[in-house]
Amino acid sequence: MSDAVFAALADPTRRRMIETLASGRAMTATSLARDLPMTRQAVAKHLAALSAADLVSSDRVGRELRYSLEPQSLSDAARWIASVGAEWDSRLGDLERLLARRRR
Amino acid sequence: MSEDRKVERERLLDARPDEVWEALTDQALLSEWLGDEVELDPWEGGGLRVRVEGEERIGTIRRFEDERALSFTWERAGESASTVELTLEPAVSGTRVTVVERAATGPVAMSAAEWEMRLGGLARVLRLALV
Repeated sequence: MSDAVFAALADPTRRRMIETLASGRAMTATSLARDLPMTRQAVAKHLAALSAADLVSSDRVGRELRYSLEPQSLSDAARWIASVGAEWDSRLGDLERLLARRRR
Repeated sequence: MSEDRKVERERLLDARPDEVWEALTDQALLSEWLGDEVELDPWEGGGLRVRVEGEERIGTIRRFEDERALSFTWERAGESASTVELTLEPAVSGTRVTVVERAATGPVAMSAAEWEMRLGGLARVLRLALV
């Protein structure tokens, strides 16, 4: 794992951002800040670190940059984190719906 | 042992702890959210089998505390084991569920829980041998 990737992943907030982006949606710094919740400025700082490690790429959409995950650059560890995180999001959603059905 | 990988999620569920616990420990209900097909022996040391997208995961129940905590290890064929801990906390509007999945990585692919179990077993054997 390169130093830049290791440093990028060492922070739990950045790992959380990777998990969010692993859902497949490209997101702006504003929408990430809403999800996390953090200030847009803090999100932008973390995105810069992730970008430097080639873990995310960006396209311009209007006035903002939209970020997506670059899975090819991910180390095994980051891939594991992204995929297991997405699995649990999906399971907890199913659990929620199951409990809602049983309440009726 | 090399670095642990960890994923944590938390969700507030609109259901009572006993209802959530049932969904976590009843095979039929587990098969509606944990995996496509789940077999679980509902006690500490019990076996676990989960089919997820055609792949099978085999594991063992490590903790089984009524309406409080369920923990198990599981592994896919050819991959390192991980430990899953589900904890329940009553909340004003339902139950807070936290899930933490940790994997051990590196050449000896055992989780911290596996190590504890194996070292515990070794200590027991040594105590017996010394008697």
